[in-house]
Amino acid sequence: MKIEIVVDPARPAPPASLVSRVAPAASAPAASDARGASCCILQRPEWADVVPLEQYENVTPLAPIFYTDEYRDATNYFRGIVKSGEMSPRVLELTENVIRQNPGHYSAWQYRYKTLMALKSPLDDELQLMDELAIKHLKTYQVWHHRRLLVQQTRNPGPELEFIANSLQVDMKNYHTWSYRQWILAYFNDDALWSHELDFVESMLESDVRNNSAWHHRFFVAFQSGVRNGDEDRDAIVRRELAFVKERIAIAPNNASAWNYLRGVLDHAKIPYSELQAFVLPYSLPQLPLGIPPEVVDLENPLPSKDSQLPCVAAVEFMADIHEAAGGGDLVKATELWKSLANEHDTIRKRYWEYRIAESLKTKSGGDG
Amino acid sequence: MSQPRRSPHDSYETETTDHQTETETILLKHLPLSPDLPSPLQKDAHLQFLIRNLIQGFPSRYTSQDASQPWLLYWTLQSFSVMGVALDPDNKQKAIDTIMAWQHPDGGFGGGPGQAAHLLPTYAAVCALAIVGRPGPGGGWDQIDREKMYEFFMSIKLSDGAFLVAHHAEVDVRGTYCLLVTAHLLNMLTPELLEGVPAFIMSCQTYEGGFSSASQPYFSPEPEGPPTLLDSPRPPLGEAHGGYTFCSLASWTMLQPYLALQKPSLQRSSLNFKTLLRWLVQMQGSEIELGGFKGRTNKLVDGCYSWWVGGCFALLSSLGIIGAHGRDDNHESSTTHQEDEAWDDIDDSLWDRAALQRYILCAAQHPAGGLRDKPPKPADSYHTLYCLAGLSSAQHNVFLSSTRQDVIVRSWKTPPESMHERLRQACFSHSLSWTEEEGTSRILGAQNNRMNATHPVFNLTMTHTEGIMAHFYKQTIPSRPKKM
Ligand SMILES: [Zn+2]
Repeated sequence: MKIEIVVDPARPAPPASLVSRVAPAASAPAASDARGASCCILQRPEWADVVPLEQYENVTPLAPIFYTDEYRDATNYFRGIVKSGEMSPRVLELTENVIRQNPGHYSAWQYRYKTLMALKSPLDDELQLMDELAIKHLKTYQVWHHRRLLVQQTRNPGPELEFIANSLQVDMKNYHTWSYRQWILAYFNDDALWSHELDFVESMLESDVRNNSAWHHRFFVAFQSGVRNGDEDRDAIVRRELAFVKERIAIAPNNASAWNYLRGVLDHAKIPYSELQAFVLPYSLPQLPLGIPPEVVDLENPLPSKDSQLPCVAAVEFMADIHEAAGGGDLVKATELWKSLANEHDTIRKRYWEYRIAESLKTKSGGDG
Repeated sequence: MSQPRRSPHDSYETETTDHQTETETILLKHLPLSPDLPSPLQKDAHLQFLIRNLIQGFPSRYTSQDASQPWLLYWTLQSFSVMGVALDPDNKQKAIDTIMAWQHPDGGFGGGPGQAAHLLPTYAAVCALAIVGRPGPGGGWDQIDREKMYEFFMSIKLSDGAFLVAHHAEVDVRGTYCLLVTAHLLNMLTPELLEGVPAFIMSCQTYEGGFSSASQPYFSPEPEGPPTLLDSPRPPLGEAHGGYTFCSLASWTMLQPYLALQKPSLQRSSLNFKTLLRWLVQMQGSEIELGGFKGRTNKLVDGCYSWWVGGCFALLSSLGIIGAHGRDDNHESSTTHQEDEAWDDIDDSLWDRAALQRYILCAAQHPAGGLRDKPPKPADSYHTLYCLAGLSSAQHNVFLSSTRQDVIVRSWKTPPESMHERLRQACFSHSLSWTEEEGTSRILGAQNNRMNATHPVFNLTMTHTEGIMAHFYKQTIPSRPKKM
């Protein structure tokens, strides 16, 4: 087989030497003898009436995958079943077989779900099987979605939260697991389900205060999923969340998740950043203010822990935002801080900080003129 | 290069900092001796890696990708395109025949023969056909059943503007992106298909500025008729994530012509671009992470986000959010740019393009060919494409040219009459007016590291995009002004 070098007309040619150095590739494997394989777990009498369907009938595929015989066999029968439209208990056995070998086989999941519905199968058994498969294949979309379909049928979300909590012990930032938890809460929207959610997030942040998935979950619980009984005083919720995040920032100041959360709360509640100035300022300085006796400590504005590495980039950024919003003479202060980020504390984002300087000058001249 | 600073951990270790420290220790070993002398791009080794997969096939551990066969092919073919390589006619034909075996009889493409139709493989199959297909019998393009595909699209559309990725499957903004690209390339856009989609995209933006995978709609029951969708609450499910952010922002970009045709009363809200820009720049890792991108706050850098996050900046420019480097008004002066002009004089982007190139060249190349997430991981097709495409977007300034758009609009064959026709014309010209600004490419290291430019929304070369769209819209695309 030869690979031609064809240059995109919009581009200059690659060096000519490349052409000669592309080695000839080996010939493609023979796809036709695939059926001769004989390990076939499904070569049992009860499957004799099903005609297995090869994947590629009249095509020699490009880029074939070298399946195991067992996988090829199971999927050949699966294609046969899909073609005939059969929905019977043995289809559940077959789709489980395919799924165990390849949990990303979404068609097997889809067909399994349709079969479960058609047979009115006991869904608790199915959920039990899912308990096992979900932990094994945490990173697969389908295991979580199948669960969701089942729970929509059983309408019994209660046990789900504990199951999810256990899964998160294995993989604490798993995207599917967290979004499934948010879906359970939002979809069933049942006060009993919600009742321990803040404690749960707190315990997750206890084990890793930098877990951004947990911070997102907290924002979802506190602000984005409607107002539940007892939470009607929205200002109180905002105060509670500000106190919570300040404490977490104090423990480990260089934690982007916590600062993003702080910004999120303020933006959501439309509170100007300047209201946080007393809290943020010490974090933006090169070292802890000396000589503050512990008894004078302002409980509302905890200081950075003594081992903090200061200044904290997020705090410097925050202070610059405060100065920018104040405008006028404070823009000079903002510019100084942005310059320190660009040239010293956060040099990879130099261009962004310089852009912030340029933008603030634009706004200023726009406002004046 | 002088040893960069470790990320601060405030003497408070958690699982996150453990992983971070471990990664920094590994990446330190890949630091180039001088910032301007990164490891050269091993094009040959990468081509060999891809050719081996294509011709000999994928080893059995790729069974997990059995439902993603169109992706495996698209990743491979588009990696070739980005490197300026095309298949010979025999293998092109084999590719077309393989792709057409994935088309579902009821419309759309599945992850393999006999698999259910699904939006993600539909995108991959159609893009692969844009690369290798042609009009006429056996060419693939005219064998796509667009009517059935449209029916499939409408059958998975939900009342909140989201789409299921397949029947009985999940909602996911990747599906929206894949559907929109396919509908753009194949001339299948209708106002009905797009209704509610902008609001769904908006609802996926999180407080951090990036986007989540989906959102949860709430409805208020009506005494008569269907329940109404509430504006709020409509919470995002899952945190801000690089892949979903690219899909959301690229979808938003594709929706611009549709939004411009709406009554002003319907155009009121938009995305929060201020938080989005901030989040995007925050995703770039620091010097000790070699300037690679991460996909979520407090996670690790990974080569594939070179495209998913790095690719977002060109989209933001096209929306007028940040100063696009390419501007039609300075076209005159831009042609005088010399390649040896200082990088900083020319590059006014808001992220560090040189640093990203350094990450890809020094850390993401596997010594045995192919590219990867990060060392010491093995290479795979997915990371090979998204590292190379990310390298391309870090090298080139591709911008939406209004001059080019005017030229394309003027060449449209029959003047559009209905809203439907106006939408198609607008989407056609919008998609095809992406233009590479001459003389502004910045290649870190040797010229051999140069990649082809790729369409910032579709991730196809300009040539492939023009070819397939000209066919399906039955238009002749005016040739681009000759390069100097
Ligand atoms: Zn990756």
